[in-house]
Amino acid sequence: MSAPVNGYTPRRANWLASPAAKTTEGYDVDPETLDDGFGEIEEIAWDDAPLTQSAPTIEKIDPKKVSVVVDGAAMTYRVRSSNEYLKSKKRVAREVKRVLGSGWLEIPALEEVSFVVNRGETVGVIGTNGSGKSTLMKLLTGKIRPTAGEVYATSTPVMLGVNAALVKEISGRENIKLGCLAMGLSPKEAEQKFDMIVELSGLEDALDMPLKAYSAGMQSRLQFAIATAVDPDILLIDEALNTGDAQFRARTKKRLDQVRSQAGCVFLVSHSLGTIKQMCTRVIWIEQGRLLADGDPEWVCSQYQEYTDHKSNGRVRSAQIVYDRTMLKLAPVQIEFTEGTRPTRAGGARAN
Amino acid sequence: MTQTDPRTAPANGRSGQQSSAPTFSIGARRIAQVNGSKLVRVGARLSLGQYIKELWQFRHFLFYDSRSRVSSQNNLDSMGRVWMLVNPALQALVYLTIFGIILETSRGVVNFIGYIIIGVFTFRFITGAVTGGADSIARNQRVVQSFNFPRAALPISATIRELFASVPVFFMMAVLVYFLGDYEIGGLEEGVQPIHLTWHWLLFFPAIFLALLVMTGLGLMLARMVNAHNDIKHLVQIGTRIWFYASAVIFGVDRFSNLGHDWIITVMHLNPAFCVLDIIRSAWLYAEFPDPYRWVVLSAWAVGAMVIGFIVFWLGEESYGKER
Repeated sequence: MSAPVNGYTPRRANWLASPAAKTTEGYDVDPETLDDGFGEIEEIAWDDAPLTQSAPTIEKIDPKKVSVVVDGAAMTYRVRSSNEYLKSKKRVAREVKRVLGSGWLEIPALEEVSFVVNRGETVGVIGTNGSGKSTLMKLLTGKIRPTAGEVYATSTPVMLGVNAALVKEISGRENIKLGCLAMGLSPKEAEQKFDMIVELSGLEDALDMPLKAYSAGMQSRLQFAIATAVDPDILLIDEALNTGDAQFRARTKKRLDQVRSQAGCVFLVSHSLGTIKQMCTRVIWIEQGRLLADGDPEWVCSQYQEYTDHKSNGRVRSAQIVYDRTMLKLAPVQIEFTEGTRPTRAGGARAN
Repeated sequence: MTQTDPRTAPANGRSGQQSSAPTFSIGARRIAQVNGSKLVRVGARLSLGQYIKELWQFRHFLFYDSRSRVSSQNNLDSMGRVWMLVNPALQALVYLTIFGIILETSRGVVNFIGYIIIGVFTFRFITGAVTGGADSIARNQRVVQSFNFPRAALPISATIRELFASVPVFFMMAVLVYFLGDYEIGGLEEGVQPIHLTWHWLLFFPAIFLALLVMTGLGLMLARMVNAHNDIKHLVQIGTRIWFYASAVIFGVDRFSNLGHDWIITVMHLNPAFCVLDIIRSAWLYAEFPDPYRWVVLSAWAVGAMVIGFIVFWLGEESYGKER
């Protein structure tokens, strides 16, 4: 128990997770410096070592079925911070930054993540708070560009959630119209969707009030209802199931099932393991900015459950063991595009 | 404490995480070969043609956004939208007092009251449109992050919003100029000449249209700059102030030629804001066709600013959603 726990990460797990971090071309020790007296023996690179790692399995992905390809996407945020001067090593630089009250803070939110999602899959995304789930979702929708790697998809994925922007000064009615138009619907389509949105949000009586007069719950209901107005092919749902009262949740579920059945591929971000297990055919677990597991919902959820149980009870080391064990089981994917088919084309922003 | 998990004995296997096998197996590295011909890069910038097409599809959003924001602009004030008229009127009054009467800048200007009213009202529209366009991206971060639309819609909508907001202002300007423009107050050296309603008044519309194009182009350009470096916002404020004094808003141009600073006049004649003001003033105050040279300069600015601004903005399309 007295061991320094925080710094503990087994080396092999690191190596498995980040092929780029390998030293000296796949050998863990520079072969030139080794002289064991055995003379000419063929050195075995880690990659080929039979005990630990077999040669990579090559999987051909059916081009008709592929929906989303995330190729080594990583994200480091750079935000302005007025406390950043404290970290500057040089004294003069520190003073200058202190006087200006401005500096950059770098936050590594997501390390390189790769996976392929096919049509018809419903992928659950789990992870503790601050693990990088939302960042992954933002990368998937193309709101921000990854600092490394790229995200490819058959069409632009659409986020369905409770974070759609509403304008506080104008009425609910106008917000619905504005939101629909911002998602690329024509005024006619917006007109058609209007009744559905009103019904879903249950705000018939409050439509002409400015949004300022809405309660927080009413606002999030409206946001959700507006967001579900489109029927995207690739759908991202972020915690949307947990808003509102029981009545609203029932309506939400109905609408979500409808949208989901029309979508080709769904990502579902949720903290509710029950929902995930019930709905998903595959689960991705992101922890501390790393892809930790990717596979069978039952198994991944059980690992996640164990991990969070340890964490919440303060058993840091046990949690770390679960973390490492899960990471060892991960079969990391490397994306290779067949000659000359790496996409450069841009997709349209319209939802349909 | 389960420090020695019996399952951690590594066994060779390729089952990955597909099943929870009783024996522990390390995940095998996989290579996925993908044919990417049907895929697109998410968030990539569209080609210029597609971008314009898409912007056209979002035109309803653009107009609706402008309109709804104009109508809610003043709803915190108890006098509401009346401020849209009262504010520029008061401003004109202030400038008239300070510059016309106290500092006597009215030298060399006929119908000085009309002159200053047109100057202040129109220039307010111009600066409003440019500054509105310049912070449109930075101010609407949440909209940018939650919806996917061509970002150029925001600066353009900011300019159009300013136009909508200025419609009553321009109407008021016309009324004031017609009734008060030739009013003679003490200290106007050049005197006045009567103002008549002629067909020349209609030249206001093409002039404002060209001005709108210039403003949109500048707004697009500045929006990208402000998004990249927020500090530029401060420079934009100073810039519009300098522009105000370089556009002969509150004094006649002739005072410079009397002083022998001809280069200032050249600069002014190349200044789009001055061209707009001069066109409206010739048409409204003096009932004559404006100098064709003004139209040429203004049109050149309109086309140039629009093309350059749009391309500059489009090139930065992928950078507008980032956190700051």
